[in-house]
Order: sequence, then C-alpha cells, then structure tokens
Amino acid sequence: MRISTVTMFEQSVTSLNQQQSGFLDVSQQIASGRRVVNPSDDPQAASRAVGVDQSMAVTEQYTDSRVSARNTLSQSESVLNSVSDAVTSAKTLLVQASSDTLSDADRESVASELRGVYETLAGQANATDGNGRYLFGGYEDGSKPFVDNGNGNIEYVGSTEVRQQRIDASRLMEVSDSGQEIFQSVPSGAGYVAEARTGNNGDLTFKGPETLDADADNYGKRFEISFAEDGGTMTYSVSADGDPVAGMQGVTYQSGEPLQFGGLSMELQGSPEDGDGLSVGPADTMNTDLFKTLEKAIGVLENPAETSQEQSARRNTLNTAMRELDNSLDNVLTVRASMGARLNELDVVDSVSDNRMLNHEQALSDLVDLDYAEAISEYSMRQVGMQASQKTFADLKGMSLFQYL
Amino acid sequence: MSIFSTGLSGLNAAQNALSTTSNNISNVFTPGYNREEAILGERSTGGGVQVNDIQRQFDRYVADQLNGATSESSALDTYRNQVEQIDSLLADREAGLAPLMQGFFSSMEDLASSPADPAARQGVLGSADTLSAQFRSFDGYLRDMQEGVNGQIRDEVTQINNTTEQLAGVNRDISLARARDGEAANGLLNQRDQLVHELNERLGVRLDVQDGKAYNVSLPNGQPLVAGSQSFELQAIDSPDDPQRTVLGYRNSGGDVVPMEEDAVTGGNLGGLMSFRSETLDKTQNQIGQMAVSLATAFNEQHAEGVDLDGEAGGDFFEIGQPRTYAAVDNPGGAEIIDASFDTENIDRLRASDYTVKVTDSESDPPGFEVRQRDTGEVLGADELTFNDPNNDGSDATLSFGGVTLTFDDAGKLAENDSFEVQPVRNASGSLETAIGDLDRIAAASASGGTGNNENALAMQDLQDASVVGGSASLSGAYGAMVSDVGNRTNVVQVNLEARQGLTEQLEATQQSESGVNLDEEAANLIRYQQYYQANAKVIEAGKTMIDTILGLRA
Repeated sequence: MRISTVTMFEQSVTSLNQQQSGFLDVSQQIASGRRVVNPSDDPQAASRAVGVDQSMAVTEQYTDSRVSARNTLSQSESVLNSVSDAVTSAKTLLVQASSDTLSDADRESVASELRGVYETLAGQANATDGNGRYLFGGYEDGSKPFVDNGNGNIEYVGSTEVRQQRIDASRLMEVSDSGQEIFQSVPSGAGYVAEARTGNNGDLTFKGPETLDADADNYGKRFEISFAEDGGTMTYSVSADGDPVAGMQGVTYQSGEPLQFGGLSMELQGSPEDGDGLSVGPADTMNTDLFKTLEKAIGVLENPAETSQEQSARRNTLNTAMRELDNSLDNVLTVRASMGARLNELDVVDSVSDNRMLNHEQALSDLVDLDYAEAISEYSMRQVGMQASQKTFADLKGMSLFQYL
Repeated sequence: MSIFSTGLSGLNAAQNALSTTSNNISNVFTPGYNREEAILGERSTGGGVQVNDIQRQFDRYVADQLNGATSESSALDTYRNQVEQIDSLLADREAGLAPLMQGFFSSMEDLASSPADPAARQGVLGSADTLSAQFRSFDGYLRDMQEGVNGQIRDEVTQINNTTEQLAGVNRDISLARARDGEAANGLLNQRDQLVHELNERLGVRLDVQDGKAYNVSLPNGQPLVAGSQSFELQAIDSPDDPQRTVLGYRNSGGDVVPMEEDAVTGGNLGGLMSFRSETLDKTQNQIGQMAVSLATAFNEQHAEGVDLDGEAGGDFFEIGQPRTYAAVDNPGGAEIIDASFDTENIDRLRASDYTVKVTDSESDPPGFEVRQRDTGEVLGADELTFNDPNNDGSDATLSFGGVTLTFDDAGKLAENDSFEVQPVRNASGSLETAIGDLDRIAAASASGGTGNNENALAMQDLQDASVVGGSASLSGAYGAMVSDVGNRTNVVQVNLEARQGLTEQLEATQQSESGVNLDEEAANLIRYQQYYQANAKVIEAGKTMIDTILGLRA
C-alpha cells in the first residue's frame, strides 16, 4: 500500500498523543490516589461511592448524636449521684430525729440540717447542663422545672415529655428523665406506705406495714383503718378501696397487737380516740414527692411537740417520711441505673458504629481508590510506550530519499 | 516526423511531468490537495509523446465515506468536550452537592441534640444557606453551558452559511471553466471537495453530484443547502417554545423563517451540540431541579408540622421558584396560563422532565389534552391528568399532572392544537433560597412546643433517608443516579469517539494512500523525469549532430 508522507507524520503524532494522554491519566491517578477521578472513569463505582459517602455521613451524624447524648446522660447521672447521697443523709437525719431521747433543741438542729439537705436537693433538681439548659425539665428546659409555689412548697412545672435523640439508625434514645420521674415517683414494686390521719386526737402510733403475702385477697388496694368507740370499747374497721373487708369490722382494739389484712401486717400502739384512723396504701397512691416528704418532716421537727398526741403525730410523720424516703432513694437509684444502662448502650453502639465506619471506608476505598502496585506498573509501561513512540518519530525524520540526492 | 519534433515532444512531456511532481512536492502538506499524475500517451501519428492529462487522484467513494466518518467523529468530539465539563463538575467529592446535603442534615442532628441552642440553630441556617447557594451555583454553571451552546450554535450556523456560500461560488466557477475550457482546473475541484469536507465537520450533509458535475448539498431531511450556484442560509433563532433556547430555522419559499426539529441535524459539531443539549444538559438541569424542588417541598411540609421557639407554627423553610410555561407563539386559541405551581399533594409524581401540553379537543367538557413527557416521549394516561373547573365557566380552570398544576385564564378560549411547553423543574435549583433568617423561626419542636422539644428536628433529620425525590429515591440516591447518568453518558461518548476516531483514521489513511503525496515517490519521479528530460535533450543533440554531419559533407 502507498503510504503518504502526511499519513506517516500524522500516525506518529497520533500515537505520540495517545501515549501521552494515557501516561497523563495514570500520573493523575497516582497523584490523586484515586482510580475514579471523574464519574466517567467508572460510573457505577462513582454512583455507589455517593451512596457509601451518604452512609458514612449518616453514621457520623449518629456518632455526633451519641456524643451529645452521652454528655447529657453523664451529667444527669452525676447529679443523681449527689441526689442519692443527699437522700441517704436525709434518711440518717430522720433516724436520728426519731429517737425519743432528743430534746426539742436537738430536733431543731436536725431540722435545720435537714433543710440544708432539702435546699441541696432543690438545687440538684434544677441542675443545668453546660449551656444553661435544665437537665430535668423535659421539653421545658428553658426555665426552672422545680419552683417554690409561694407557700414554701416546691412544685414541678417542667414537662413530662423528655427529649429523644437518634443515636443509631433505628434507635431513638431518651437522653434525660423528667424531674417528675426522678423526684416525684416511686419505683414500681415499692411496697405499702402507712400514714396517720392528720386530725387524730389519740396518741395512736404504728409500725409497718410489712408485706406478708402479695397474693392475698385485696392486696394492692388502698386500706383505711378507722377507729370507733362502741359502748366504751375501742373498735376498728378496715376497708379496702372503700369496701369493708370481711371479718375486719368492729374488731376490738388492743394496743400492741399485730393486725393483719390484705396480706399486710401492722402493729398499732397507743390509745386512739373515736374517729381516729390511718391510711395504708401502695406507695404510688400515697405521697410520692420527695420534696413534700422532706417538707412534712421538717415541719414536725421544727415545731416542739407538747402533748402526747403531738408526739405521736411527729413519730407517725417521721415514720411515714422514712418509708417514703426509702422509696424515693430506690427510685433515684433505679433512674440512675437506667441512665447507666443507656450509657452502656452508647458504648456498645459506638463500637458497632466504628466497625461499620471501617466497613464503609473499606468499601469506598475498594470503589474509588487506586491500586498503587497496578498503577505504578502501568505507569512504567506507559513510559516505555511513550519513549518508543518518541524514538519512532525521531527516526522518521531521517527516512527520506531526498537525503541521498 | 523529424527526430527534432520527437525529441521536443519528449522534452515537453518531461517538463510537464516535472512540473506535476514539483506541484505534488510543494503541496505535500496542503489540506484538501489531491496528488496529480501526468498521464503520457503515444502520439498517434509521426511518433513522439503527448501529455494526455494531468490527472487528479481522487476517489469519490472513499471521500464520501471519509466525510461521513469525519462528521460523526466531530459530533462525538464536540459532545465529549461539553459532557466532560459536567463530568468534572460532579467529580469533586469534597465540595459537590452531596457533602453539602450531608452537612445540612448533620446540622439538623446538632439541632436535635440541643434544639434551643443558638449555635445549633445558626448551624442549621448556615448549612442551609450553603446548600441552597450550591444548588444555585450548580444551576448557574449549567445555565452558562446552555448559553454557551446557544452561542456555539450561532457561530456554527454563521460558519456553515459561509461555507455553503463559498461552495455555491466554486460550483459556479467550475461550470464557467467547463463552458470555457471544457475542463475545470484541478485546483478548483480540490477546493470544492475540501469545502464539502469542512461542511461535514460542522454538520452531516447529503451530497448529490448532479450530472457528474455540479455539487448539490442538503440536510438529511432533504432541506437543500446548496443547489448548483445557489446557497440557502440556515438561521439561528429563538425557539418559539422557549425563548431561551437557540434552534435552527430556514427560510421557506414564502420567505418566512420556519424552525426545524432539533433532531433534524445530526453529525458534525452542530449535531454534537444539539444531541448533547437534548440528551444530557437538559436532563441534568432537570435532575438537579427535581432534587431542589423535592428538598424544598418535603422540608417545608415537615417544617410546617412543628412550632418555633415562640410557639408559632413553622413557616416555609426554603423558597423555590415556580414551574415555567411557554405558550407556542402560533397557538390558534387565546387561552393563557396565568399561574403554574407545584402540586404538593402529588409531589411524588414530579419527574425530571419537560412536558408538552397539547389541546386535542376543545369542544368536549372537560377539554381533551395530550400531555407528552419530553425526555421519554411518553404520553401521560388519562388517570394522570386532573382537570378542574372551579367556576364552571372555564375561568381559572386548572390542569394538574406530574406534580404540577397549571391555571388557565379561561379554558373556554382553548383551541384545538394549542400547545404549551411546561418546564416544571428546569431552572428550579437556581431559585432555591433559605426563607428563614431569624434563628427563632426554625421549628424544631413538635406541636406541643417547649425549648427542649426536638421532635420536629428529628423528623426533619429523618428526611435524608426518605424517598422524597419522585416518590422513589432519597436525595442522596437521586444525586447518585445523576452521577451515574452523567458518568455513563460521558463514558459511552468517550468510547464511541475512540472507536469512531479509529475508523476515521483508517479511512484517512486509505484516502491518503490514493490521494496523498509520498515524498520518496516524488523524489524518485524527480530523478526519473530529470533523466527523461536529459535523454530527450540528447535526442535533439543527436539530431543536430546528424544534420551537422550531413552539412559537413559539402565542406
């Protein structure tokens, strides 16, 4: 075949160009470390890389979310730590104050110590995070959740709904607990609490109640024990949720004799008067408010008890308050345990998510990153190819008949 | 015949051959030059040689094939140059749209973690601003490309008109030369074939050689560009369906400029531009627009479910432009579209496509419409169209389809064959803005409110995985699909171009082997014809010696 001079030059130039552009492609890949620089280099890989990138971004989001969840939870947990200490010390003070050997002045000083604990607790209940947001206000975290209602009593005005955060693709976690949940609740399974009526005229006091049989009839109901004088004899009747309990109507009262009803046992002492009585209810139907408990206790300790009725009332109040404090402490510990469990869960999810991130990174790298060994061998090959076509071009110039004329 | 005249004829022939050779050598690198050969013949009477022809080595069949291949190569080359710009636009994984969308949703996560925190709220607004700015800049880039394509079409049309005019001129010169000398100079013929070749680089044309002489050139659809010594101009005009789009037109016999279908031109730079625009550029713009509208609509809807820091219901978070509509300039009826809006109830039907709405029956109630999706050419089914005539008199009547609602000023004025161009999302991403400036206005809380309430922020964060684009893809999924689309198309064009260029080069070599000059061959010819000349001179010298010998006898 005839080859025209133009064709010879053009073919050489074309081959030089091809070699050069191939060489530059590989150089660019090596410089960027990427096999897929433009989507057209591998459209499927480029589009899947967008998906993997998105998964990585979402994983990152959940990781950030866990950081702030952990932050909030550990702050709350550490506050609850102090709260449980405070409740324990309040309990100790009440045990101390229950002793009959204490003078009014001693009780006064216990009362002022107890008030200190009360104030501490009120402060803890209104604890804030680093941003001035109230930890235990639920959705209403912009204002104090526990406020003085003007009568010297503390009330919860926060929200009962608490913030959740998405800490993983399918996990919304509550990152705080409402103040009501912590300071105004008792754990499920808390036993019975007894409380003397406020208008009692006699000097009736009580011990217990203790649970004997949780399967007994009427267990779980709220009982009222009412005293009545019947022809000079003091009798008592027990009702469960307002219904008279069979066999416990108009029973003759004897001080110190144990009393059993609905699977509970109590010991009553002293001499009640006609119309006196007590309520015995499951803890969650009685007072569950830690602040109210302390307010009652401080109230009776600050006022000197003159008469035996007043002394009995004080003893009864302290008795009830101690039972309530036990329940509150249990409650705080339960909430704290649940926070601890959530913090643990965050750790678990963290390590799962770290693994996932590694997988994503591996996938992304497989999709778009360069295999250096392969690329460098390609680089050398291209270099040889380019040198060869340069040599061909250089030789071409000497190949003309005119040189010999 | 004498030895002198024989020798002289040889000298003549040698001079001709030498001049042909030197012409070949001097034009070795001239584009469009065809090698010439001096064809020698024996004189029929009295001996000696004559030059029958200086023959142009030109193969019509190969030239046509090469023209066709060149036209396809240059179309693909133009296409590739354009599409690679979009390809590189999408290549940046760090600064493209995808990471900014991720950043936006990640700021939503921060908001969910501390819903009343001004820093978190600022983060949301900041990332929303960045995201919408990126959508706008993306749109700006593509819109510049549309403008660029318009400009290039205009340039190409000017060049094509120049070439066809020259071609008609050369046709005339050749026919004049033929009339005068019976034959036209090779130079003119070369020039004409070169013009046809150049024309093919700009657009694919059909060449008919009339009576083996005059060249007639026409578009593939038969529209003539050159007929003998007459040329017909193409026009670059604003599309009657969309004034922002330059299309081709021609002057009909009545002198009116008539727009041509966009696919009437194939091949060449112009064909490459046309197919790039309709296949890739329009689609990419629509895909980005669809994402912007889907993001804005879904987000606004969720934002409205929540309440802001002041307890007010959430307003629009993003602002987005409305669909664009154009009534065809030659609509027989007088009805106008006075409003076009997104049908938020059916936003999942929104597609990344333009539509043509045509009135098929203006008499019936409701009127008959044919709505054609431009990218696939599919006609929407009757169940996908909703016509509503709220006042029962045609005023403010609405037509809804594909996530768009059009309002007519008076449907009663619609006439059969009225046509409207609807671009629901084409320029949407250029109008995406954050509607909120005040931090307190972000509705992070659910309807129950509260500064620590983050329910709506969580719901907004969840939108990143929701199928908000066309009811089937997440935002990131839609972006991935677009990357894959553009990547694939670029890749296909690159591969096709490579194959087509290989073929073109092969044809070029074939054409050159026939018509190209080989300097070695010419060097050999030079020696050959030089010796031929010398030999003939010797013949004359021998004749002279002979005569001198005869004359010397007398002395």
